[in-house]
Amino acid sequence: MSSVSSPGGGGGGGLDFELNLASIIDCFTVLITFMLASATFLSIGVLDAGIAAGGAEAASQQPPPVNITIELRKDMSVSVKVSGKENRSQTITAKNGGRDLESLVSQLGAVKSRWSSVNAAILQAENGVEYGELVKTMEAVRKNMPAVMLGGF
Amino acid sequence: MLFKKGLFSKRRQMNEEMSLQITSMADIFTIILVFLLKSYATGAVNLAPTKGMLIPEANASAPASEALKVEISEKAVQVEGNPAAVLGAFRFEPSDLQGGGISKSLSTVLDRERKRQILIASHNADVKVDPKIIIVADKRTPYETVKTVLASAAVHGYTDFKLAVIKGD
Repeated sequence: MSSVSSPGGGGGGGLDFELNLASIIDCFTVLITFMLASATFLSIGVLDAGIAAGGAEAASQQPPPVNITIELRKDMSVSVKVSGKENRSQTITAKNGGRDLESLVSQLGAVKSRWSSVNAAILQAENGVEYGELVKTMEAVRKNMPAVMLGGF
Repeated sequence: MLFKKGLFSKRRQMNEEMSLQITSMADIFTIILVFLLKSYATGAVNLAPTKGMLIPEANASAPASEALKVEISEKAVQVEGNPAAVLGAFRFEPSDLQGGGISKSLSTVLDRERKRQILIASHNADVKVDPKIIIVADKRTPYETVKTVLASAAVHGYTDFKLAVIKGD
């Protein structure tokens, strides 16, 4: 037990007492049990996604020089379409049974280096593509294009 | 006999003087408590997904803000924790779908929520009609279902989508 003695020490009538930690331990045990039972150790965040269709706010803004549309296909390929002042389309085929997101990032990086003012891309997917794939791709796209809008509806 | 008696009395004396050293235990508990308090998920928004849901993982720096919550699980779409539409293996019933890829039942619930927001905003100048909507979806959900939910939300003015994810490293 913790004990406290008077500074003079030793003398008769000194303050020599022990802290009663038992009640504190009881309190801590209850608190820890409650927190362990109720805690979710997963931290949830959000990814911003707009809507590809315009609206009044979008119409008032200056249109970007190029529009980038990324489409996820069920066969794990990714189609990248650039339209506007530059028109081209490219399909990134599957790699090791999954989507080749590294190539997608480098493709978008190349577009970004040519058109630095472009900050947005439209992301859409075929019907059977899983939402998890969409989020993964969105995360990859956001490395070059901070604004990702969902399309296809 | 004398020896036995002496040993017994000595042991009893030891028992009387023995005390638990709980100072170190208090230290350990304090550290555990501080760690738990630090990692305790607190915030303005309570995003507790339904049991069995697999939320996708991503690096999301933006914290969740208060908005209408729509959850897409295997069997239902819930709006603010209340069932809004029935799903079968992550897909809407064909009879529930109408033109433009919108779910009738979900649209009804979202319309009610929107009207409620507008009503509150009309009576309280501090409250604004918010286009934000938080989508908490299972990662196995096909995009067609997500599209239907997003389209149904967009029709009612919810155009600022926030996709809930588990924060990665």
